[in-house]
Amino acid sequence: MEQYQVLPGPEAFLPPSAASMGITLPDPGEAHIEGRIVDEEEAYEYAARKLLGAKVPTIFPGPLVLWKWNEKAAKKAKAIRELAEAMPARLIPMADYRPKYPKIIAELEINPNHPNLTIWHNKIDVCIFIGVHCHQANLALKIIRGGTDCYTIAMCAQAGHEDACMSFRDISLEKIHKLTATVNKLKKEGVKSQAEPFTQFKMSRQGRIEG
Amino acid sequence: MSKEKIQLSEDLADIMPPEYQEMVATATFGNEDRSWKDIGTSKELIEQHSLCAGCPESIAFRFILASIPAPEDSVFVGSTGCTSLVFPHVGVQNIHSLFGNQNAIASGLQRALKLRFPDVYKDVIVLAGDGATVDIGLDMTMQSWFRQEKFTTICFDNELYANTGGQESGLMQKGFVSKMAPVGKKFEKVRLPEIAFESGCHYVACLTVSKPNRVEQVIRNAIYVSREFGPTYVQLYTPCILEIGKQSMEGLDEMKESEAIGQRFVMKEFMTDEVKEFLKEKNAEQKARKKAAKAAVTA
Amino acid sequence: MNKKVEAQDRRILLSETVELGEKTNKGQTVTDPNVLFNEMEREASFLTGSEVIRAAIKRANLDVSVAYPITPQSEAAALIGELYAEGYVREYFRGESEFAVMGQCAGASFGGARVFTTTAGPGTLRAMENFPMWAGSRLPIQVCVTCRGINSPLSIQPDTLEMYYLLETGMLVWHAETAQDLYDWILGGFMVSEQPDVHLPLALCCDGFFVTHTKDTVMLQSDEYCIPAYDPYRSPVPCMDMECPPIRMMRDPFIMKSNYISYMTHASWQQEIHAAVERSRKHTLPIMNGSLIETENLDREILIVASGTAVSQGREAIRLLEEEEGIKVGLVKIKSIRPFPTEEIREATANAKTIFIPEFNIKGWLAREVKSILSNNERVIAGPHVAGGMTMPSEVIVDEIKKSLGVAGPRLESRG
Repeated sequence: MEQYQVLPGPEAFLPPSAASMGITLPDPGEAHIEGRIVDEEEAYEYAARKLLGAKVPTIFPGPLVLWKWNEKAAKKAKAIRELAEAMPARLIPMADYRPKYPKIIAELEINPNHPNLTIWHNKIDVCIFIGVHCHQANLALKIIRGGTDCYTIAMCAQAGHEDACMSFRDISLEKIHKLTATVNKLKKEGVKSQAEPFTQFKMSRQGRIEG
Repeated sequence: MSKEKIQLSEDLADIMPPEYQEMVATATFGNEDRSWKDIGTSKELIEQHSLCAGCPESIAFRFILASIPAPEDSVFVGSTGCTSLVFPHVGVQNIHSLFGNQNAIASGLQRALKLRFPDVYKDVIVLAGDGATVDIGLDMTMQSWFRQEKFTTICFDNELYANTGGQESGLMQKGFVSKMAPVGKKFEKVRLPEIAFESGCHYVACLTVSKPNRVEQVIRNAIYVSREFGPTYVQLYTPCILEIGKQSMEGLDEMKESEAIGQRFVMKEFMTDEVKEFLKEKNAEQKARKKAAKAAVTA
Repeated sequence: MNKKVEAQDRRILLSETVELGEKTNKGQTVTDPNVLFNEMEREASFLTGSEVIRAAIKRANLDVSVAYPITPQSEAAALIGELYAEGYVREYFRGESEFAVMGQCAGASFGGARVFTTTAGPGTLRAMENFPMWAGSRLPIQVCVTCRGINSPLSIQPDTLEMYYLLETGMLVWHAETAQDLYDWILGGFMVSEQPDVHLPLALCCDGFFVTHTKDTVMLQSDEYCIPAYDPYRSPVPCMDMECPPIRMMRDPFIMKSNYISYMTHASWQQEIHAAVERSRKHTLPIMNGSLIETENLDREILIVASGTAVSQGREAIRLLEEEEGIKVGLVKIKSIRPFPTEEIREATANAKTIFIPEFNIKGWLAREVKSILSNNERVIAGPHVAGGMTMPSEVIVDEIKKSLGVAGPRLESRG
């Protein structure tokens, strides 16, 4: 039987979890690309090329970095902003995990219970999950694979995500910096960002800041 | 969590939804004297809910969340029912228990938090309906009182099973005709406040939510007493207007009528003499704090 | 799919916040479990299964245990109480029923504590609503299930039928054969079930009385050492202590509005739980000597495949068959039932012509499990079975095998 590959969808009405298809998570020092375990070093450049090649690259920061619950989180947030600016990529927050009714504003937020809405609405073709609790990330990653053609990258602080098309593990501040550095290096080497022009939205207490 | 830790990461703050920016800026975390009177001038901890228009439970919920003395160090345990449609949107971490085992969950939770944070009051607060508290969960409700577990149990008494469509419950009045009581309920409303006091609760209150000051006071009393003495119980009449055939605007009248002299929700409070003394001191402290704060503002 | 994970040189992964060498309040040294389990010197002790549970928990750096009496786990639960009195277990109390106890365990686990409890038979079934809740909520609670009969009329005797009810709860389910397994797996179980990519409850099952109440030689490390504490901030879901974001967080919210998206979220949630069971494989290997199964003489045409104490009886039957009849039989011991060692069993049984599955329950759930993954599963003979507390003399297995081979001999039932 052929080895299952974790590829962008739309895959199925209810796609299987990658773990149930025999995909295992990387060990420390490793990453996975579409289910294939690789040396982590290899993954940086692969991810950077994916991101630079995307039309609507997007980072989804989660509660673990959106909130300054410790100094490390705040530093990661800064590094994520730098990564977004380096590409450039949009930032859309996964502010919490609650099922929001009647609807979310797909342009401004993503929710683990229906992440596909945000992907579809913004036509996101490559995304990064970072700072999202693993359980909720896995729900979202699988639903995205099920219904969209988005290429998902997980930058996980724990054991990684086999439901993402590619995943790092044990992500630290240094590793975020390293991905940014790789993006910058490729750009210097002549790899051009294919991102469509956009303006990052900004929010205030009153709502979206226009202009 | 200290108030200082409820902050957004600066570099990503400007992409956060307005409600979180509002929460960080104006929610009353870290203010022991927070009050229902802050509603309207500060960010409430309920972001949204899907309860019926005019539902007394929704206003009770808002009063409670505005009154608890330390939301930044409180964890709620809820149960299945209308409240669990609100809890996902509450800015205090909370656990949805299995129907009826809320006081068991709270027992384990409170003990774990005490172990992990021995120097902080981590307030565990159960908030469940009358079905969960008195019927299916009565064993675990009472056993937690017998064991002297240090947390507050709040029961939203709407005298029936509301979320499942209005069936008879133990707290329903005798004679009331409902689903599963087709010829009227055949036994009296369970006297849980009295049972609670006999079972070891150090502070018990039973009232409607028609008067926010009273709700605030009993909630604060219950939480303070639970920290120092042991279990406390608050039973709040939150009529289900839908299931008793009232209109959206009639909830308040229903509560006022039922708390009138001779009616079943005349306010009751039970406490030991020791607790009475303790609360007197606590209230004096609060008054002094408020006075000092006022003086600081006017100075 | 149940893909086999290769053993390589797998080690137990630790949280970066663990401070090895630190002393606990009882003066125990927090030790790398790789060292504690594999390298540290051990000494032989002669203990009952219940005493072995106590010995393991003493080294488990345990926060909370909740107890309730039901035979045959009562003694173990009470012995953990002794550890609490001595200060080795930080919180302990008696709950009011198994349903409540499992709720109390859940509460403590939601609050970030390492939690252990024990139950048995009717207690397991009374508690049952909690188990899929534990798994769905990703609570890495360990419950030692000392199996006994569950159906009316009442029986307190060993019977493994209750395990069948646990199989699809989303918990990890392991089946200890010996007191040594029980000891090693209690400690190792915490290390597996608390991994962030697993983070699931573990039902560590053993056969009541046969394991709990008989004495056996068990190799123990010094009790001056213990495993590292649980780190709730590696959890794949937010810990409910108001110390980590998001604070607007319900564990776990309804996702049951009547629309397709809600249904799919729930389905995906369920898949994620079973995915986490799969992920436990690689973490389990260092706990179980490199494989979820243990095998002997796989080149033989007849195999006994079993779990729990049925393995011990199978081993003795194999000896008898070889010594008395010259019939050679191989053995597969299944250690983990969830995750199920599908590929391992397929490989191990590849050459077998006949596979016997002796079980201590009337329905033969293990045989069903094995049949469901094998091609040519007419090779599988579901039995022999005993139940309700009956022992399974090795001769019964011998007879079953001889009967199927057409070898005549004295029948055990004539001895009755």
